[in-house]
Amino acid sequence: MYIIISPRLGTPGDEYIPENGVNIDALLDGGLISTDSVKKSSKVKSEPKEQ
Amino acid sequence: MATTQYLSNPALKINGVDLTDQCTNAVVTFTKEQLENTAFGDSARKFTAGLQNNTITVTLYQSYAAGETEASIYSLVGTNVDVIVATTTAALTTPTATAPKYELVQAYLASHTPINASLGELSTIDLVFAGGALTKSVA
Repeated sequence: MYIIISPRLGTPGDEYIPENGVNIDALLDGGLISTDSVKKSSKVKSEPKEQ
Repeated sequence: MATTQYLSNPALKINGVDLTDQCTNAVVTFTKEQLENTAFGDSARKFTAGLQNNTITVTLYQSYAAGETEASIYSLVGTNVDVIVATTTAALTTPTATAPKYELVQAYLASHTPINASLGELSTIDLVFAGGALTKSVA
Protein backbone atom coordinates (compact mmCIF):
# COMPACT_ATOMS: atom_id res chain seq x y z
CA MET A 1 0.00 0.00 0.00
CA TYR A 2 1.31 3.41 -0.99
CA ILE A 3 0.57 6.71 0.73
CA ILE A 4 0.51 10.06 -1.09
CA ILE A 5 3.07 12.56 0.17
CA SER A 6 3.10 15.13 -2.63
CA PRO A 7 -0.07 17.13 -3.37
CA ARG A 8 0.87 16.83 -7.03
CA LEU A 9 -0.45 13.26 -6.88
CA GLY A 10 -3.52 13.87 -4.75
CA THR A 11 -4.39 14.50 -1.13
CA PRO A 12 -1.39 13.83 1.14
CA GLY A 13 -2.11 10.97 3.51
CA ASP A 14 -4.55 9.25 1.18
CA GLU A 15 -3.82 5.87 -0.31
CA TYR A 16 -2.13 6.09 -3.70
CA ILE A 17 -3.53 3.72 -6.28
CA PRO A 18 -1.13 3.70 -9.24
CA GLU A 19 -2.48 3.86 -12.77
CA ASN A 20 -1.17 1.62 -15.51
CA GLY A 21 2.27 2.63 -16.74
CA VAL A 22 3.28 4.59 -13.66
CA ASN A 23 6.89 4.12 -12.55
CA ILE A 24 6.40 3.45 -8.84
CA ASP A 25 10.13 3.26 -8.10
CA ALA A 26 10.63 6.80 -9.42
CA LEU A 27 7.82 8.10 -7.23
CA LEU A 28 9.32 6.37 -4.20
CA ASP A 29 12.84 7.60 -5.01
CA GLY A 30 11.55 11.15 -5.37
CA GLY A 31 9.68 10.98 -2.09
CA LEU A 32 6.34 11.67 -3.71
CA ILE A 33 4.80 8.55 -2.17
CA SER A 34 5.76 6.23 0.64
CA THR A 35 5.13 2.66 1.55
CA ASP A 36 4.20 3.56 5.10
CA SER A 37 0.91 2.11 6.15
CA VAL A 38 -1.72 4.27 7.77
CA LYS A 39 -1.45 4.05 11.53
CA LYS A 40 -4.49 2.58 13.22
CA SER A 41 -5.40 2.67 16.87
CA SER A 42 -4.22 -0.31 18.83
CA LYS A 43 -6.87 -2.88 19.56
CA VAL A 44 -4.61 -5.18 21.55
CA LYS A 45 -6.14 -6.02 24.88
CA SER A 46 -4.00 -5.68 27.92
CA GLU A 47 -3.01 -8.81 29.73
CA PRO A 48 -5.25 -9.85 32.57
CA LYS A 49 -3.73 -9.25 35.94
CA GLU A 50 -2.53 -12.30 37.79
CA GLN A 51 -4.14 -12.94 41.13
CA MET B 1 -8.79 34.47 -40.90
CA ALA B 2 -8.92 32.72 -37.56
CA THR B 3 -12.44 31.99 -36.37
CA THR B 4 -11.50 30.71 -32.93
CA GLN B 5 -8.66 31.44 -30.59
CA TYR B 6 -6.81 29.16 -28.23
CA LEU B 7 -4.86 30.82 -25.46
CA SER B 8 -2.07 28.41 -24.70
CA ASN B 9 -2.59 27.09 -21.20
CA PRO B 10 -2.21 23.32 -21.32
CA ALA B 11 -1.89 20.93 -18.40
CA LEU B 12 0.93 18.42 -17.96
CA LYS B 13 1.31 15.12 -16.16
CA ILE B 14 4.54 13.14 -16.17
CA ASN B 15 4.43 9.70 -14.60
CA GLY B 16 1.12 10.63 -12.99
CA VAL B 17 2.61 13.76 -11.37
CA ASP B 18 0.87 17.04 -12.19
CA LEU B 19 3.62 19.50 -13.12
CA THR B 20 1.41 22.06 -14.84
CA ASP B 21 2.45 24.92 -12.58
CA GLN B 22 6.14 24.33 -13.35
CA CYS B 23 5.67 24.10 -17.12
CA THR B 24 6.18 26.98 -19.55
CA ASN B 25 6.31 25.15 -22.85
CA ALA B 26 4.89 21.90 -24.21
CA VAL B 27 5.08 20.55 -27.75
CA VAL B 28 3.41 17.33 -28.83
CA THR B 29 4.68 16.06 -32.16
CA PHE B 30 2.71 13.26 -33.81
CA THR B 31 4.73 11.62 -36.56
CA LYS B 32 4.26 8.64 -38.81
CA GLU B 33 7.43 7.95 -40.69
CA GLN B 34 7.09 8.24 -44.43
CA LEU B 35 8.19 5.19 -46.39
CA GLU B 36 8.68 5.54 -50.09
CA ASN B 37 6.78 3.08 -52.25
CA THR B 38 7.35 4.63 -55.62
CA ALA B 39 7.72 2.05 -58.37
CA PHE B 40 8.45 1.91 -62.08
CA GLY B 41 5.55 3.30 -64.01
CA ASP B 42 4.82 6.04 -61.47
CA SER B 43 5.16 9.63 -62.61
CA ALA B 44 5.68 11.06 -59.12
CA ARG B 45 7.11 9.87 -55.84
CA LYS B 46 4.67 8.19 -53.47
CA PHE B 47 4.84 7.49 -49.78
CA THR B 48 3.06 5.36 -47.23
CA ALA B 49 2.92 5.52 -43.45
CA GLY B 50 5.49 3.68 -41.37
CA LEU B 51 5.96 3.48 -37.63
CA GLN B 52 4.93 6.26 -35.30
CA ASN B 53 7.88 8.35 -34.16
CA ASN B 54 6.37 10.71 -31.59
CA THR B 55 7.87 13.14 -29.14
CA ILE B 56 6.71 15.41 -26.36
CA THR B 57 9.05 18.24 -25.47
CA VAL B 58 8.49 20.27 -22.32
CA THR B 59 10.22 23.10 -20.51
CA LEU B 60 9.92 23.14 -16.73
CA TYR B 61 11.13 25.47 -14.04
CA GLN B 62 13.70 23.65 -11.97
CA SER B 63 12.97 23.24 -8.28
CA TYR B 64 14.78 21.14 -5.72
CA ALA B 65 12.05 21.43 -3.09
CA ALA B 66 10.33 18.30 -1.81
CA GLY B 67 7.94 16.82 -4.36
CA GLU B 68 8.84 19.34 -7.06
CA THR B 69 10.55 19.13 -10.44
CA GLU B 70 13.84 17.45 -9.53
CA ALA B 71 12.19 14.91 -7.26
CA SER B 72 9.70 14.06 -10.00
CA ILE B 73 12.11 13.80 -12.91
CA TYR B 74 15.54 12.59 -11.78
CA SER B 75 14.67 8.90 -11.37
CA LEU B 76 12.87 8.78 -14.71
CA VAL B 77 16.02 9.10 -16.82
CA GLY B 78 16.61 5.93 -18.78
CA THR B 79 13.09 4.66 -18.25
CA ASN B 80 9.83 4.58 -20.14
CA VAL B 81 7.07 6.73 -18.78
CA ASP B 82 3.56 7.96 -19.63
CA VAL B 83 3.26 11.67 -20.41
CA ILE B 84 -0.05 13.50 -20.74
CA VAL B 85 -0.58 16.94 -22.22
CA ALA B 86 -4.13 18.28 -22.16
CA THR B 87 -5.38 21.48 -23.71
CA THR B 88 -6.82 22.60 -20.38
CA THR B 89 -6.55 21.52 -16.76
CA ALA B 90 -10.11 20.20 -16.88
CA ALA B 91 -9.25 18.11 -19.93
CA LEU B 92 -6.79 16.07 -17.88
CA THR B 93 -9.75 14.29 -16.30
CA THR B 94 -12.59 15.05 -18.71
CA PRO B 95 -11.36 15.69 -22.24
CA THR B 96 -13.84 16.79 -24.89
CA ALA B 97 -13.87 17.21 -28.66
CA THR B 98 -13.01 20.87 -28.22
CA ALA B 99 -10.54 20.26 -25.38
CA PRO B 100 -8.67 17.08 -26.19
CA LYS B 101 -6.02 15.24 -24.21
CA TYR B 102 -2.89 13.64 -25.69
CA GLU B 103 -1.07 10.80 -24.00
CA LEU B 104 2.27 9.42 -25.03
CA VAL B 105 2.41 5.91 -23.62
CA GLN B 106 5.74 4.55 -22.41
CA ALA B 107 7.91 7.24 -23.96
CA TYR B 108 11.64 7.12 -23.28
CA LEU B 109 13.45 9.88 -21.37
CA ALA B 110 17.09 9.77 -22.41
CA SER B 111 18.48 12.76 -20.55
CA HIS B 112 17.88 15.47 -17.98
CA THR B 113 19.92 18.50 -16.93
CA PRO B 114 19.77 18.62 -13.12
CA ILE B 115 21.68 21.91 -13.17
CA ASN B 116 21.04 24.48 -15.88
CA ALA B 117 21.98 27.74 -14.25
CA SER B 118 22.46 31.19 -15.75
CA LEU B 119 23.20 34.36 -13.83
CA GLY B 120 20.08 36.34 -13.06
CA GLU B 121 17.64 33.86 -14.54
CA LEU B 122 15.25 31.29 -13.18
CA SER B 123 16.60 27.82 -13.87
CA THR B 124 14.67 25.75 -16.39
CA ILE B 125 15.07 22.27 -17.82
CA ASP B 126 14.11 20.92 -21.23
CA LEU B 127 12.93 17.33 -21.47
CA VAL B 128 12.33 15.26 -24.58
CA PHE B 129 10.14 12.18 -24.26
CA ALA B 130 10.59 10.08 -27.37
CA GLY B 131 8.88 7.03 -28.75
CA GLY B 132 5.72 5.40 -27.55
CA ALA B 133 2.26 5.41 -29.05
CA LEU B 134 0.29 8.65 -29.02
CA THR B 135 -3.40 8.53 -28.18
CA LYS B 136 -5.86 11.38 -28.44
CA SER B 137 -8.82 11.41 -26.05
CA VAL B 138 -11.92 13.48 -26.70
CA ALA B 139 -14.28 11.93 -24.18
